[in-house]
Amino acid sequence: MFAITHDPLDPAPLVEAVRRDESGAVALFYGVVRNENMGRNVQYLEYDAYPEMAIKKMKEVADEVRAKFPVTGIGVLHRIGRLEIGETSLLVAVSSGHRSEAFEACHYAVDRIKQIVPVWKKEVWEDGEAWIEGHVPEVPGAGEVP
Amino acid sequence: MISISIRLYAGLRDLVGARYLAMELPDGATIEQLRTRLGEEHPAVVGLLPTLVCAVDEEYVVPEHVLRDGDHVALIPPVSGGR
Repeated sequence: MFAITHDPLDPAPLVEAVRRDESGAVALFYGVVRNENMGRNVQYLEYDAYPEMAIKKMKEVADEVRAKFPVTGIGVLHRIGRLEIGETSLLVAVSSGHRSEAFEACHYAVDRIKQIVPVWKKEVWEDGEAWIEGHVPEVPGAGEVP
Repeated sequence: MISISIRLYAGLRDLVGARYLAMELPDGATIEQLRTRLGEEHPAVVGLLPTLVCAVDEEYVVPEHVLRDGDHVALIPPVSGGR
């Protein structure tokens, strides 16, 4: 299950989608909206995305995870639009035979999502706003001698 | 000439004031030429160009990538990050 949505995120269907009978553990990561960043009070966040490419890149992250860890399932949901403090912006669920691999694979998946999935967030403060500049995605073939 | 449709996101969209742009470029134009033209037509975005990555057909491409007529190009500022 991979999706970009404006609707509130529900973890239950995601957990069920990644669980298999051979799964002994499901690690579930929530990214939630925090009320401060770099010492400024955040009022709310506004997320933008390129949905078709975001889903494609989520699936690529899942392929990487399946190649590196013995997982039994993985799913990613990202919410976009306006999100209030405490709301969930990202859910990543990874199942595996045992908890150690589930935790590790989930951690890896979240890090990679933040690096290559085209989703952006704008912080809105009392006295202004700014798009947060995070990671510049790596371009395949860049820097190689043709 | 080739016709390119461009999608803008995040701060770039705010600065240009549009989600979509159309651009005519010479045959054989590259992503780098598209970026240069964008800066000429919209000087407000020049500061964002150095960290801008482009995608064609939902895949990140190098600046030397040669565009074809009808290509859809997405301009991708640094993604959301966090730690």
